[in-house]
Amino acid sequence: MKNNSTNKEIRRMVIVLVVICILFVSLVVYLTYFQVFKAETVKMNSYNKRLWINEEKILRGSIIDRNGKILAYSEKDGETYRRVYNYGNLYGHIIGYSYREYGKAGLELKYNNELLNISKSTTWNELKNIVAPTTEGNSLKLTIDHHLQEYSRSLLKGKKGAIVAMNPTTGEIYSMVSMPDFNPSNLRETWSAIVEDENSPLLNRATAGLYQPGSTFKVVTAIAIMEAGKAGEQYNCVGSKTINGASFSCYNKTAHGNIDLRKALVKSCNLYFAEKGVEIGLEKLEEVAERLYMNKAIPFDLPVTKSSFPNRITLDKANIAAASMGQGEVLISPLNMAMIASTIANNGQMVKPILVKEIISPEGKVLEVNNTEIISSSTDVFTANEIKNMMVEVVLRGTGRNARIGGVKVAGKTGTAENHTGKDHAWFIGFAPADEPKIAVAVVLEEEGSSGGLAAAPIARKIILEALNTID
Amino acid sequence: MFGSRINYRIPRNLLFIFELLALLLMFLYYKDTLNRITVVYSLTLILLVYISNFLLLKISSGDNYIFLIVTMLVSIGVIMIYRIDPELGLKQILWIGLGIILFFITFILFKKIKGWENWFLLYGISSVLLFLLTLLFGKNIKGATNWIVIGPFSMQPSEIIKILTIFLIAAYYTNYDKFREMKFGNYYLLGIIYVFVLFLFLQKDLGSVLIFLSVFIALQYVYEEDRKLVLINLSILVVCAIAGYFVFPHVRSRVHTWLDPWKYIDTRGYQITQSLFAIAEGGFFGTGLGLGYPDFIPEVHTDFIFPAICEEMGIFTGIGIIMLFLILVYRGFKIAINQRYKFYRIVALGISILFGIQSFIIFGGVLNMIPLTGITIPFVSYGGSSMLSSFIALGILQVASEELDLDEE
Amino acid sequence: MFNIISLIFKYIFIFIIYVFILSIIRLIYLDIKGIYPVAVNNGAYLKLINRKETLPFKVKEYYPLSDKVELGRANNNQIVIKDPYISKKHLRIVKDEGKYYLEDFNSANGTFINGSRVMDVVHLKNGDRISVGQVEFLFVNKE
Repeated sequence: MKNNSTNKEIRRMVIVLVVICILFVSLVVYLTYFQVFKAETVKMNSYNKRLWINEEKILRGSIIDRNGKILAYSEKDGETYRRVYNYGNLYGHIIGYSYREYGKAGLELKYNNELLNISKSTTWNELKNIVAPTTEGNSLKLTIDHHLQEYSRSLLKGKKGAIVAMNPTTGEIYSMVSMPDFNPSNLRETWSAIVEDENSPLLNRATAGLYQPGSTFKVVTAIAIMEAGKAGEQYNCVGSKTINGASFSCYNKTAHGNIDLRKALVKSCNLYFAEKGVEIGLEKLEEVAERLYMNKAIPFDLPVTKSSFPNRITLDKANIAAASMGQGEVLISPLNMAMIASTIANNGQMVKPILVKEIISPEGKVLEVNNTEIISSSTDVFTANEIKNMMVEVVLRGTGRNARIGGVKVAGKTGTAENHTGKDHAWFIGFAPADEPKIAVAVVLEEEGSSGGLAAAPIARKIILEALNTID
Repeated sequence: MFGSRINYRIPRNLLFIFELLALLLMFLYYKDTLNRITVVYSLTLILLVYISNFLLLKISSGDNYIFLIVTMLVSIGVIMIYRIDPELGLKQILWIGLGIILFFITFILFKKIKGWENWFLLYGISSVLLFLLTLLFGKNIKGATNWIVIGPFSMQPSEIIKILTIFLIAAYYTNYDKFREMKFGNYYLLGIIYVFVLFLFLQKDLGSVLIFLSVFIALQYVYEEDRKLVLINLSILVVCAIAGYFVFPHVRSRVHTWLDPWKYIDTRGYQITQSLFAIAEGGFFGTGLGLGYPDFIPEVHTDFIFPAICEEMGIFTGIGIIMLFLILVYRGFKIAINQRYKFYRIVALGISILFGIQSFIIFGGVLNMIPLTGITIPFVSYGGSSMLSSFIALGILQVASEELDLDEE
Repeated sequence: MFNIISLIFKYIFIFIIYVFILSIIRLIYLDIKGIYPVAVNNGAYLKLINRKETLPFKVKEYYPLSDKVELGRANNNQIVIKDPYISKKHLRIVKDEGKYYLEDFNSANGTFINGSRVMDVVHLKNGDRISVGQVEFLFVNKE
């Protein structure tokens, strides 16, 4: 029985050993690879209960409006903390929610780390956190005016649509409402109903809803026409016309006769904009639209869907004509529309919309301030002023008469957007006072089946009036 | 050999310090619920480990490293188990103590008794009996029917069968020429192993199926003279593996979970994803003992002890454990190569492969590098059967590492 | 407080585990090289002259010598060599006042130092060749 291992045997043993060594080394390599490249993403998965364990030990910061009114806060509930939303539906789309089951949304998501006072995970911060763990998060001070927010929502009650009211020169959002909405306080009971609702109440229409802008888009086309130096050219409107095989007509087929840009905008003459749009060309229109942040990501505290302006070179004349009057493939978000109104009000300078004004530490120290920032010089002062005057006339004696306010010069533009549902979207954008703008609004009523002048303008009027009366 | 004993002091003392520090930390962690029994037991264990390592140098002329490595692995494991659940930790201390005693008993008996290579039939029959017992009286725990419960005791017969199978294979190849003279002698072993694997498959113990097959293939590769047979065996297994995937839903579901655990995060992917979270959270140095949340992982004390160690002691410790196993396997091979008696050589080789493959399967499984099959890490995971059988295997390896003389006198 | 201790300990643990692994690797390395550092550094030892592979039994490259070492075929010797030409108790090397002496136990085949058979006790000098059975050693004493 006694026999030394033969060479062949040893050779085979060594091969087996090498195989096992390779297996073990691959384990070490994989483990290191996992730690270096994948661990960060894996950790952030919402099923990782450790994320919540840490959060539930920290008093989540409050969210307050511009006047210090508390909109959301956390309170101790046994071992952990409970989130309280003071005004239910009113801030569902802005503040969002923070639930273990459903994750996070809105500002609760965007400012999660700030609300929990969690710093970036560096070794030093980790060490600090173990020695002296954070117990209280930072608060957020919003630019929202609680009163105006409440008032705006009351105007949309029972309707579908969105309102954005903002300061045209600072970019501060005063109110932002999207209907239908949901109540973040009782998601556990209502979640399935909310998710199944075909009106999608979770969708923040003000930032993530895209609509055809209809005639309100003529403001954009008007800027392009002015810049092209064709504002003074006369045009004979005959009521209806065929362009490249597609027929276009003015509202009720009214023939507006001989008109220039000013009259065309005041009367909202479709044919004028259709033909002039084709004349100045897609390239110019697209350039102006993009200066106004269409086809671009708008920097904002909530997720914004990109507005879209068609930019295919193959686009035929009929489609360019439709785009020029805000129909066809043009899609825009209410926030973008409010920013366009603000740009006209602000001498052609587009400001960044701000929702969170300040981040305040538990001790009351202001940690971070969001200041006004110009994100685009969209047009020159002269053009902006000309368009502004035209928009004033729209409200004085054009389609926007329902937005008139005695003693205040209101500038605005209505829009009625045809869409596949057959029921038109009603639009109004505007600002006031025209000479020293304090408030700009965009109102859209989804599938309202009525015109912008009739349905949207009165709502905008009320908001402008209320804002001018209550906000300093 | 005389003066060299001094050198072994370094690792032995390091192990001692490690155990003391870890124990101190754990007592601090559980200072409110600490009782005298725990303190006495754990200090006794530390002493037992120290003395054993010392004693072994005296009584065994063989390998001096494997027991040292294993006691380090055992220490890391028991500390983690104690941190997760002090009650289980206490039990594990008892199992380890028993394991070490069993190691010495095996060491003495296996050395004294001769003729192990002649009992091929005994190994085969007792294995089949144990399999039948499991099949008849087996209890389904964690989805696999591989436990026998007798009163307050429960055991996993497959742990013992592993060692018996290695003996069986060793006896077969030691008497290779004798078996080959018989009719169909070439296929005896192949047939028996396939029957074993079938039994394991019936118990739905896929992890053990993998271990048995790996050990068998490796030993067959080294010792089978009929190279055609090795190829036949391999091709049969490949075909079976593919067929198994399509025929058996529980095999298929494992593979799917492995490919994309995140998709099944709520159901069968839950365990593996929790394991990945733990490893990811730990980073290179870990959170520190008692500062992580390893108890989020189901079955954390047995199959999933490795992610728990990674979370609290860092993947550096994880890599350390992998390296310890690698050294253990390397020593095992070295022992096999130096052993002059074929039976002991094959047994040593088989046990080394067993340690290596078993730990690889579960390390790879919890990392989602290979499909997950629930088996324990030898010496590290909680479990009496696993701990005792591993120490028995180690005792056998220790004997095999010595220069034996069986023929003389 | 526990947090801080645990935080410090985790580094200590990893350090200990790796030093442990390294010290074992080092020992194994020394083992493979067949060097017994302690013996070589401060003592005398026997070095095998034959090529190890040519011998049909196990024999080591080095045998460190302590104060009293016995060599033979039986297992109760400190140096066990299973050479059939070596007696069960063949010879012994003792250290006395710093000098090493070799004593043959009247073995059947005898012990040879530098070719001449040892009759009684012989004083070993550095570089002496010791032949027992089929094995030949070199006596090395660095002191």
